[in-house]
Amino acid sequence: MIPVEVCRRVLAKAVSTGADYAEIFAENTLNHSIEMVGGKVDAINDNVIAGAGIRVYKGLRSVSATTVDTTEAGLLRCAAAAASALGEGKAEIEIVLNERLFGDIHPVRVVPSGVENRTKADILRSACCAAMEYSDKVRQVTGTFLDVDHNILIASTDGIYAQDRQIRTRLMVNAVAEINGETQTGACRPGRRMGLEMFDFIDPVKVGVHAARQAVTMAGAGYCPAGVMPVAIENGFGGVIFHEACGHSLEASSVAYGASQFAGKLGQTIANPKVTAIDDGTIPGAWGSINIDDEGTPAQRKVLIEKGVLKTYMIDKFNGRRMGMASTGSSRRQSYAFTPTSRMTNTYIAAGEDRNEDIIASIEYGLYAKEMGGGSVNPVTGEFNFAVNEGYMIRNGRICEPVRGASLVGKGSDVIQKIDMVGTDMDMGQGMCGSSSGSIPTNVGQPLIRVSSITVGGR
Amino acid sequence: MNFEDFKKAVIAAAEKLGVTEYELYYSGGEDVSASAFRGEINQFGSAVDGGVCLRCVHAGKLGYASTENLSAGEAESLVRRAMSNAETMESDEAAVFVPGGQTYEAHETADFALPEPSELVKTALEIQEMLRREDGAVTENSRSAAAAGTSTVAIFNSRGLDVSFTAKNAMIMAMPIVTDGTEMVNAYEVDRGDFSKLDREKVVKKSVENAKAKLGGGVPKTGAVPIVFSPDAMGAILATFASSFSSEMAQKGLSALAGKEGEVVAAPCVTLCDDPFYKDSPMPVPFDAEGSPAHKKNIIENGKLLTLLYNLQTAAKAGRETTGNAAKSGYASKIGVQPFTMYIVPGEFSEEELLRKAGEGVYINMVGGLHAGANPISGDFSLQSGGFLIEGGRKTAPVKSFTVAGNFFGLLKGITAVGANIELAEARGITNYASPSVLVEGLTVAGK
Repeated sequence: MIPVEVCRRVLAKAVSTGADYAEIFAENTLNHSIEMVGGKVDAINDNVIAGAGIRVYKGLRSVSATTVDTTEAGLLRCAAAAASALGEGKAEIEIVLNERLFGDIHPVRVVPSGVENRTKADILRSACCAAMEYSDKVRQVTGTFLDVDHNILIASTDGIYAQDRQIRTRLMVNAVAEINGETQTGACRPGRRMGLEMFDFIDPVKVGVHAARQAVTMAGAGYCPAGVMPVAIENGFGGVIFHEACGHSLEASSVAYGASQFAGKLGQTIANPKVTAIDDGTIPGAWGSINIDDEGTPAQRKVLIEKGVLKTYMIDKFNGRRMGMASTGSSRRQSYAFTPTSRMTNTYIAAGEDRNEDIIASIEYGLYAKEMGGGSVNPVTGEFNFAVNEGYMIRNGRICEPVRGASLVGKGSDVIQKIDMVGTDMDMGQGMCGSSSGSIPTNVGQPLIRVSSITVGGR
Repeated sequence: MNFEDFKKAVIAAAEKLGVTEYELYYSGGEDVSASAFRGEINQFGSAVDGGVCLRCVHAGKLGYASTENLSAGEAESLVRRAMSNAETMESDEAAVFVPGGQTYEAHETADFALPEPSELVKTALEIQEMLRREDGAVTENSRSAAAAGTSTVAIFNSRGLDVSFTAKNAMIMAMPIVTDGTEMVNAYEVDRGDFSKLDREKVVKKSVENAKAKLGGGVPKTGAVPIVFSPDAMGAILATFASSFSSEMAQKGLSALAGKEGEVVAAPCVTLCDDPFYKDSPMPVPFDAEGSPAHKKNIIENGKLLTLLYNLQTAAKAGRETTGNAAKSGYASKIGVQPFTMYIVPGEFSEEELLRKAGEGVYINMVGGLHAGANPISGDFSLQSGGFLIEGGRKTAPVKSFTVAGNFFGLLKGITAVGANIELAEARGITNYASPSVLVEGLTVAGK
């Protein structure tokens, strides 16, 4: 995108007032989506995101500036603005850039931006029609076929000059069902850091049926009772419990500022010994995977918690300075317009040794959360919430009737002590995680787990 | 190039490619911000952004394409992409562009000198220092920030419409973290508007007071009790369920209010209004995203649903006039329907009177997880909450880690009294939500 020579001159301008680090992040992204309502293509969104963000640090101070003008003159102006905001010093470092080729651990076979609309619309249609035809209780179906071709370039005074092309594809179906005047919804939203080859193993018909089945089940369900009870949370998107209750509080963006429930706890037992949790940006083709992070550090696999003991945080270069720790390849930003910070990639509770049937059988009265929705957390206090999209009551160790409208709330440091059974069948679910550096794709995951007691928000 | 030059390039490209009906929508701005931590500016940022969305008629269909790359080469590519996208469209959406020569309501907008970056830096540091001095419970990890900038929207179309609107904005924020030695809690407070009039004292005092009030919180008992929602909490709930009032959602079968115009949908004390020129709106644009004039209207009046919100498209489908509520969630998004500033019209009671009426219950001033724990289609919600117990008609001990659950349409009917104290709860730009405090019966709290 931007030649190495130009980057060198722009970085030289950026450090001209005494910065000890400067970085250019440039991007050219094509976001494309097709929306379907009632079996017809209702909207096509096709957007080019193009611009650059320049950051300079001096010690623990940082300045960022963004521009949509990525000509050399535009970049130099942006660098000058950042440099002048930093202060009055003079250049202290020399710029040496080496091109780095990190390779591609997420090869893409069918690049979506080269596939015509009709092919994508047909995939979407087969998913939406399958949902509509599932039952006469299904009243409406909406769906989205989304593909992103995100091209990034990072040049920094660490000597890095690197590029990455991050392609991802996602199919989302939402179904609305009505039974006796009660309306409920169901959804299924698989995504991969892949092209259209994703559909070699994800059948659009199954995606549609999944959404419709959930909507119909929930429309026929009564309200979930309120109270404190044991909860079994299923694999896949169920992993959102770790993401919210714990993951965000392990990001350097909270830890470095002492604004985390887990700050200063490295080496301590913070979770139940059954819990081993991992953040792994290197899983080939996974939704949250990257080759390099948005500061040019290669993706890593990190064990965050091992048998209950806190092993590491997720760290970016800038917050790492405050913590005196190296980057873990966790710097991410939605686009050049956001200032990057430490974020998750694919984050999951590793498989344990409890059998699924034993987990269910252990609960006399409680909730089986088959599918979770999203959630949120306050990293300072660790208070979190997330929604149960599909739940069932458990009585005497058996899964009984479906219940709707439940959410789970609690405190992260408390709930990860209470994860006292961990199953064997780890699976992941896809989400978009929102935080200060924007909305980024992340996987959450876990096997079936038991939380011995948690507040269930029902009626 | 800037939008004006890019517009000319698109006009030329459209002519070359034989496109005669089209519209360009631009939104962009400039923003400078400073945030302070431990007596230093830890982050300073200056951002320039802007993007253009083209809608054009091709092959009898409406196609969209958008870009941030405002260059001569991109103009033609933009038109080609929109044409190609039009070919795949299947909805029966007719292309309706607003002709030029519209009359827009004139309202005074905030005009003030934007602060110099150095002034933002000074302000952020000052708030930091004020937080430290405010109370011994405030930790060194508290943060503060100041920001200012301009936002612009512009619409140009082939029927002679050529309008634009620019607003200036500034804000300050205090984010204290307080501790009592055993527990750490946080809060934040924002003030927006003319930079010279922003109240540092108030954001510091209020945020520290709010944070300290949360220390030592317990968990309320599970059960159905009267709830008083603060303006912030009720405004956040309104924002979450606002799509129910969209004719687009109704026409797609995604709103429970479809076909209910003229019916009673709320308690008699509820009047719900939409006002583009609400006094605290950060972006009081006099036109909607299609260029139709924006105006104030009641959506619910004394409990009766008078109208849903319409744009040209949905109004044509319903055989009626637009309410001037065409909206985009970002420059690139499809034209949809949203309110400007939606609010429950204040009633006659002070918040103290609402608490007295509640007697025994829960006061909720924080609801979380709205994107997940609330379903705008069914109206069901179960939300993480924070607040205070109401005992003997007064706020007493803080409570947290509980949920409040119910159904939005039930909530509207369960409002028994409306406060006189309105505040802007969700400031998002063109679309915002405000509310007074309200007393609601019939919701369930899940705690211990």
